[in-house]
Parts: sequence; C-alpha cells; structure tokens
Amino acid sequence: MATAAPTRINHPAPHAHGRDLLRLMILSRVLEQTCCELNPRWFPAEGEEAAIVGAFYGLRSDDFIAAHYRGPFIAYYLRGADLARLIGQALAKANGYARGRALGFTGPFELGCLPWVAGDLGTSLGVATGVATGYQYEGGDRVVVCSFGDGTSNRGDFHEALNLAAVWKLPIVYVCQNNQYSISLHLSQVLATDTIAARAAGYGMPGVAVDGNDVLAVRAAVEHAVESARAGLGPSLVEAQSYRLSGHWASDPGGYRRDEDVAAWRERDPITRLERQLLEAGEVTRHDLDQLWQDARDEVARAVEVAQAAPSCDAADIGLGEAYAS
Amino acid sequence: MTTISPASVDFTGSQPETPSGRRLTFVEALVEGMRDEMRRDPSVFLMGQDVGAMGGAMQGSKGLYEEFGPRRVKDTPISESAMVGAAVGAALTGKRPIVEVSFGEFLPTAMNQIVLQAANLHYMTCGAARVPMVLRTRVGDGPYRGHPQSYEAWFAHVPGLKVVMPATAADAKGMMVAAIRDPNPVLFFEHMWLYHGVRGEVPAGDHVTPLDSTFVRRAGRDVTIAATGWMVHKALGAADLLATEGIEVEVVDVACLSPLRTEVVEESVRKTSRLVVAHEAWRTGGFGAEIAATIAERCFYDLDAPVARVAAPDAPLPLAKPLRDAFLPDVRDVAEAVRRVHAG
Repeated sequence: MATAAPTRINHPAPHAHGRDLLRLMILSRVLEQTCCELNPRWFPAEGEEAAIVGAFYGLRSDDFIAAHYRGPFIAYYLRGADLARLIGQALAKANGYARGRALGFTGPFELGCLPWVAGDLGTSLGVATGVATGYQYEGGDRVVVCSFGDGTSNRGDFHEALNLAAVWKLPIVYVCQNNQYSISLHLSQVLATDTIAARAAGYGMPGVAVDGNDVLAVRAAVEHAVESARAGLGPSLVEAQSYRLSGHWASDPGGYRRDEDVAAWRERDPITRLERQLLEAGEVTRHDLDQLWQDARDEVARAVEVAQAAPSCDAADIGLGEAYAS
Repeated sequence: MTTISPASVDFTGSQPETPSGRRLTFVEALVEGMRDEMRRDPSVFLMGQDVGAMGGAMQGSKGLYEEFGPRRVKDTPISESAMVGAAVGAALTGKRPIVEVSFGEFLPTAMNQIVLQAANLHYMTCGAARVPMVLRTRVGDGPYRGHPQSYEAWFAHVPGLKVVMPATAADAKGMMVAAIRDPNPVLFFEHMWLYHGVRGEVPAGDHVTPLDSTFVRRAGRDVTIAATGWMVHKALGAADLLATEGIEVEVVDVACLSPLRTEVVEESVRKTSRLVVAHEAWRTGGFGAEIAATIAERCFYDLDAPVARVAAPDAPLPLAKPLRDAFLPDVRDVAEAVRRVHAG
C-alpha cells in the first residue's frame, strides 16, 4: 500500500519550468529579506526558497494551501496575492489581507490560503486536513498542500492529522520544510530518526525525503504526490531537507551554532545552484540572471513603496462586533 | 437528603403552545434534530468516535448511520484534535460538519483547534472565512457515572464560539437544528443525566430554538434561580420543595452561555430582588460567576441580598458514587441557598 522507506528522488536534468522556478526563488529571497530589513521580528527564509517554491508551484486555483510561517509570501504570491498587501502585513499596515487582525504571515483565505490566526504550531495541519475532508466530501479532485517545519513535526497534531488523512485517504500533501532548527535546537536534539519522511510508513502513506535545496527535486516529489492525491490515492509526506541560513528571527544572531556549518550550507544555496544548472544547460545567460534579480528588486521596491504609503491599522477598524458571523 | 431522579422529570420545554403529543427523550430529540438537518441539507455530516454502526455513545447518533451511510456518518480514530481540526477545515469549505467529542472530559485534547482556530478564523480574516460547525459533547454526572467533567465555562470565556447547554428535549432538538444552521462554531453541551431521563413534548418537523435562548421555566415572586443544564431540573425540584415552605421561586434556564444574554435574568431579578445561580461545574471561575457579575453590574440596586452561588466545590471530582453524591450540588444545596438569600 505504501512505500515503507523514504526514497530520494534524483532529478538532475533542468526542468521545463526551471526559469520560472528560479524567478520565484529570487523573488522570494528579495521579498523575505526585505521584510526582515523592515521588521526585525520577521522570520527569515533565506536558503529555504527551493523547499517553499517547490512545494506550492503548479497548483490549481481551486486547490488550497497551508504554508509554513517561514517564507510563506511567495506561496501566497503564487495564489495571486498582491505583494504590496503582503509587505503591508509585515509592516502592520491596514492594507494587509487581515487588516492587522491576524499574524503578519497570515495567508489570504479568499485566495485559498490558510490564514495564521494563532501562533501555535501544528493546528494548521489539522485545519488543512479538514479542508481536504471537505474536498473529499464534495467529490471532485481538489487537493490541499500543507507545509510545516521540522519542529512542528514533533507536535501531536502532526500524528493525529497524518493518521486521519491516511485512514480516510484524503487529498492532501504534507510537505515538511526541514531547516534543521527548532529555534535554537538542532534536529538531532529533538528527533531520534534519520528523517521525518520515515514516519510516513507508520501511517501507511508514501514518504519521501528530497534535497530541499534542489527545487527541481522538491517540485518533482510534490507534483507526484499532488497527482496521487488528485487521483484519489490519498495523502503523502514529502520532506524537503534544507537549512536555515539565518537566525530564527531577523535579529537573532544565532550564536547557538557553528559558523562553519552555516558557511558550508551557504555553499549549497538553492538559488545559486539552479542558476548554475540553467547556465550550464544554456537555458539562461549571465545577463538573464542579472535581469531576474533586478526585476525582483524592482518589483519588491515598488510594493514596499505602496505598503509604506498605506495607512497604519486604524483602531476604528478593530471590528469588535465581528467576532461572530451573521 | 432530597434528591431528584431523572425518571421523575416531566418537562415540556420551550414550545408548549403547539403541543404535538409526541414525547421523546432528550437524546431521541437530539438525534432527530441532526437527522432532520441531514435530510434537509446535504452539506451536513457527522463525525466522531463510534457514531457509525454502533449508534454513538449512549445512543447519541442512533439510526443515523443506517439512514445516511459511512460518507455522512464518519467514524474517527481517537484523535480529538484532528477530528475538530477536520470539522474546522471542512466548515471552511462550506460544509456543515457536526463533530462529536464523546465526552467533555476529552475536550482539552482538542483545545487548540477550538480556541485558537475555530474561534478566531472569522474575525481574523475580516469575515472572509466562516466556520459553520457544531461540536457536540457529553458532560456532567449521569447514569453511567463516567467522564463527568463540565468544562463549559472555559469555552464561554472565548469570543467567537457559541456555547449552548439545553435542558429539555424540545430544546435539544431545536437548538441542535439552530446550531447546525448557524454560521459560527457552536459548542453543544449535552448533560448525561438528561439523556434518557428527560422526556418531553417535541414538535415534529422543522423546529428551531434560537441559540441565544433563556427561558423562565417556573414563575415565582420571591427568589430567582438562574441555572444551566441538569441544574435547571434540580432548581425546579428545589422550587417544589420551597413552595411547601411558602417561598415562591422563579427558575430561569440559561440555555445559552455564550454570547450571554441576561435580559431574562435581569427582568426576573427586578421582580424578585434575589438571585441564586446554580451549575454543576466548579465554583471558582465557573459560569455562575459571570451571571452574578453581570447582575451585580446591571441590577445592583434591585438586589435585596447578596447573590448566592451553588456549584461543585473547588476540588477534583471524585468518582465513587458516595463521594460523587456528596460532591455534586443537589436539590438540598439549591434549596438552602434560596432560603439563605430569601432570609437575607
């Protein structure tokens, strides 16, 4: 019924969507770094762009996503979210999708994204699994992609959600954005197994661990899992193994880990890697790459300008009477 | 000690003006409410442990699996957090799930989903998201004496949740129907002594009891008792007793704990000038404190005596019958509180 052991997918050939994936990773890098500059409490996603873009690329507009709190803006952008409104959320501006009522990294529900309405980890897996329950109930072939961190995989909600999804064969793909750190704790301090994907076997669902710095590998694994879910074959767990290059939050000096470890992972930067692959394959030129970075910087700069000009959240819009729907 | 047994309760409920002649138990009425809504609205489905072929704990979903099958009556693993999460998520897709947490004792395992997700989603998306779900659970003492915890006050504390606790068969049906139709997460507390004991007239067909209901169950001029759930019936027992002593008690059934409306209690207190609040849950931080505080704010100058609370003592709930009987508030406790307030 399920693959017992995690398998690694090798995907060396440049992908048909390579250039688009590169554009999105560069945009994610610039976007999230800009948010970190604007908000020292922002959660940097530097180095994890392949895991994020690879997880949420190529979905249908009637699918649903629940993105991990680290680096979700590119996932929302893929759903059609407006960059200026997202940056406004990082700045607590009134132009954010939640107008200041939810966490800064909240997703626009109206675009099929799970909002972040609480700062706990793990409950998003339960709700995303519920959306998949709703999709299964209505028939059709809509799917949910839900990402979460390696730390979150130690919450009991992970266990309950994955077991329920497997038992009910729900159309959902769980993507573990493994950056090896729960704030200051390395994965080896909180996990006794080699991979998180190995847990999938215990639930009776396929589990694969892929190089999370290889966007083509992440994309291929998730695409396969999405097709499987869409075909009614049930959920999968994909572990994208990456590394958190920056601190837990923007101003976290990260003194709890060795500089040489960070430096070694910088050598494996997912963006540099895809750039090199595409250059070698002759799919892009140096000039193309410069242009991609410049376009991303321009696009984000324009959005920042709009966000900064947006009004701050106004107490008059606190909406105390809106706790209940009518 | 004066006790009240469920079998002695004969109570009609909120719709006496259209007598149907049909007398159902509380749980029969409850299941009928779910069944009617499932027939009417294909987006309604039920999930929980043992709700399927077994028919539910204490027959709480009897007959539904046979009529609607496994797609709409879904048995779940013992995973309260995932079950409630499944309901929240399904509700976000426009379904109207009813999730059953077998007993209130298990609610803490689903706390995050209830208070962090279900309660927040509508407000924090500026209205883009709606969570039309019902979470039903069994609470309080009962014939099987298991899982007696009553945690309803915790949830009444959290804005965004609706919390109801019907005390009659008619309201079990009517409030279940209203809860399913409501666009918000509704926590539906079912007291286990009411389940098979309280038989009452229940209208057939479409019967809706508004969720914000508060009822005067017995009129009286001397003292008001505001009670919830099973304590409504103990309050009625106390009222019978006190009538023989010349004290006329007005019994108010606070069937909706949140959002709380106290107009009916206020009106009663303006008449009686005396108030006793009664619930089976613990005293400290219990729901009675909220009623007492609200009445103190709004009716201070109408009161002729301090408000009295009847509740369980602030200690863990013991399980053996003699200990349990000594622990839980009973008719005698209510009557004593009324006498004290009446004399004050």
